[in-house]
Amino acid sequence: MQHVANLSDVRGRVGEAAIEVDRVSHVYAGPEGGVPALQDISMSVGVGRFVVIVGPSGCGKTSLLMMMAGLRHQTEGRILCYGRPIPNPDPERVGVIFQEASLFPWLSTLDNIEFPLSLRGTPREERRRRSQAMLSLVGLDGFGARYPHELSGGMKQRVSIARGLVQDPPVLLMDEPFAALDEQTRMTMGHELLRIWSTTKKTVVFITHSLTEAVYLADEVLVMSARPGRIIDHIQVTLARPRTYEMMATDVFGRLRDRIWQQIRKAD
Amino acid sequence: MRWPAPSTVRWAMLVVLLALWEFVPTTGVIPELFLPALSKTLYVLWVDKHIYFAALLVTLYEVALSMLIACGLGILVGAVVGGLAVLRNLLLPIFSSLYAVPIVILYPIFTAWFGIGSQSKIAFAGIYGFFPVMLSTAAGIRTIDPQFVLAARSMGATLPQLITRVIIPASVPTVFAGLRLGGALTIIGVVVAEMLTASAGIGYLVTLNRTILDSPRVFAGILAILVLSIAYYMLARALESRMVVWQSAGKQTRAASRDAQVAVAAPAAA
Amino acid sequence: MTRLQIRLTRLALLALVMAAWEILPRSGVVNPLLLPPLSLVLQTLVDLLGRPAVHEAVAVTAAEVIVAFIIAVPLGAAAGIAIAENDYVGEIFKPVLFYVFSIPKSIFLPMFILMLGIGFQQKVAYAAFTTAFVVLMSATAAVESVRQDHIMVARSYGATQMQILLRVYVPSMMPVLLETLRISMIFNFTGVMIAEMYASRTGIGHLISNWGENFQMPQLFAGVIVLAAVAIAFNEAVRALEARCSTWRT
Repeated sequence: MQHVANLSDVRGRVGEAAIEVDRVSHVYAGPEGGVPALQDISMSVGVGRFVVIVGPSGCGKTSLLMMMAGLRHQTEGRILCYGRPIPNPDPERVGVIFQEASLFPWLSTLDNIEFPLSLRGTPREERRRRSQAMLSLVGLDGFGARYPHELSGGMKQRVSIARGLVQDPPVLLMDEPFAALDEQTRMTMGHELLRIWSTTKKTVVFITHSLTEAVYLADEVLVMSARPGRIIDHIQVTLARPRTYEMMATDVFGRLRDRIWQQIRKAD
Repeated sequence: MRWPAPSTVRWAMLVVLLALWEFVPTTGVIPELFLPALSKTLYVLWVDKHIYFAALLVTLYEVALSMLIACGLGILVGAVVGGLAVLRNLLLPIFSSLYAVPIVILYPIFTAWFGIGSQSKIAFAGIYGFFPVMLSTAAGIRTIDPQFVLAARSMGATLPQLITRVIIPASVPTVFAGLRLGGALTIIGVVVAEMLTASAGIGYLVTLNRTILDSPRVFAGILAILVLSIAYYMLARALESRMVVWQSAGKQTRAASRDAQVAVAAPAAA
Repeated sequence: MTRLQIRLTRLALLALVMAAWEILPRSGVVNPLLLPPLSLVLQTLVDLLGRPAVHEAVAVTAAEVIVAFIIAVPLGAAAGIAIAENDYVGEIFKPVLFYVFSIPKSIFLPMFILMLGIGFQQKVAYAAFTTAFVVLMSATAAVESVRQDHIMVARSYGATQMQILLRVYVPSMMPVLLETLRISMIFNFTGVMIAEMYASRTGIGHLISNWGENFQMPQLFAGVIVLAAVAIAFNEAVRALEARCSTWRT
């Protein structure tokens, strides 16, 4: 897969942080004064790592992700991506995948994938080539001419992932991307995601409510408290890669899940 | 016993209706004055085809121009008012209150100002169509999934790009609904106006023939208008299904489309 | 914007319109013969409200509106319910409804006149005719708006048809029914106005048409204002009622 030429100086050395969150707090304006959403969050996401954030509803994890994406601005603290701040969305550095695929219904699958490129004015030939490559990467070869309403939920999310990857950003942010899918599709998609991740060597920050999903996918799990959100635990997932379904039945898996669950219960 | 297919029943009903139209007046059950036989109606329509054609042209001209006002202004204003929360909260309730007023009472004002020619019809039908189109567009704009905008922003779209590449394409179904609605309403508005006070047009012909109790010609005019409005509806539908191949499914759709449906109830007015 | 700010802005807009209506004709920017100043219109309005001829016209119009409504609503509702309840009937007629709604029903007015003359009956018949279609469509929508799962739950608890009707359909449809009545009344009023303006010797519509023909602009505007005010007042009253009944609606 072709990398954009100047990405080598963006990627930096192994071990450097892809995303650095430094003492971020956030208060948003409410009808009766400020509502604290995030409290003094500090974390560091290493290059190439798969980090999962879990926490109760309303703890601010989505807000945090939005800030990492440049879609929202924190009231205090700073967030750096490869050493530089993110004041605005920067799809060449950070790709964002939402819970709803939000594919544009008036565009075909392939047109949807190359949409970010067309915003940039990338020439047609190259757009086609790259979007076709992404289509294959997510396993949807041959579906390029279909329209979103002809695709299943899982397929739509794959297209959404392809779209997020088409500009080859080193970082991928994913906000509960599989939450709207049924459990079986979720498991398949999780597996697919790991395959894509290991092929492309991206850095992933992934939000989920599912503890199983968290342990299955992650290198590290960050547990957040209820509002105002703080990081209350940082768990290293020591399971070997590539992950397999069988691992879900092991003791190690169960203990990790349990630890997360206990933390969340305490925090609530 | 298997029931016949619904479309067969519809065609059968149409045939029966036409047959009744032909035979009931002929047998004298209903006087010819009230309902002339279909054949007679068609006959005078044919005999006077030049007159009807000229009148139709006048009517179509007035419809076209009032459509420009009703749809052009209606869609534009509806998009702006519906899209901007400030304007929406401020103005939309006012407009939907005004909707309760029978616009037809304004027509004498227009004839006093613009005379009995085409201008008064165009002004009247333009306004008549404007409100429902505006309300429908304002409601329809809100069916656009806000997630689209979020997704596009995350892909680095600038504001002009947001408008041209996301909002406008997403508005296409709403715009088409507005065009269909506006056309139907302006036809109704023009016909009503021509019937009330005019010097030309199909509505005028119908009124003229009524006052001289020439029933066949009255019904010939009615028939012409029926054909016109049905033809327009079919044309609008055909165009719409060509252009809008996809269904938009969004969270807002259900609630907002309910409002849009209420506005769409308008054609039944006159 | 807060609700108070919104109210104030609207009042300001209203004041602006009223001021323009007064100043533009008086200053001659707009021909005062075509657009009489607001003060003159209001004076005329007060004067008109005292005239017995106007009272008569109001009575006639009111009677037509009420009678037409009383006829149209049961007819339209029955037809609408029939279409909604019976799938087969529904499939036959639903596509037709769209065509029917595009047709200007005013073209049938001469037919009513040919049959019934230009009196009370013709106007009521025509208005009822047009209103019935609106009621029909709204009734169909109202019945279909009752959620199937609510009906199934009731049935699974052994509710009888009558119980389902009263305890599920009616409360579920109440807000929609009110909205139906409100919208039907708007169109009913419109229908009566058209009939009166077209060929009638009585009623407010006729008066307005007359004033227009004779260029009696202050009277014309006064009449329009009164009619608009009545229409809006009725509409808002029913809307308030709807809001009370709809607190549970999404």
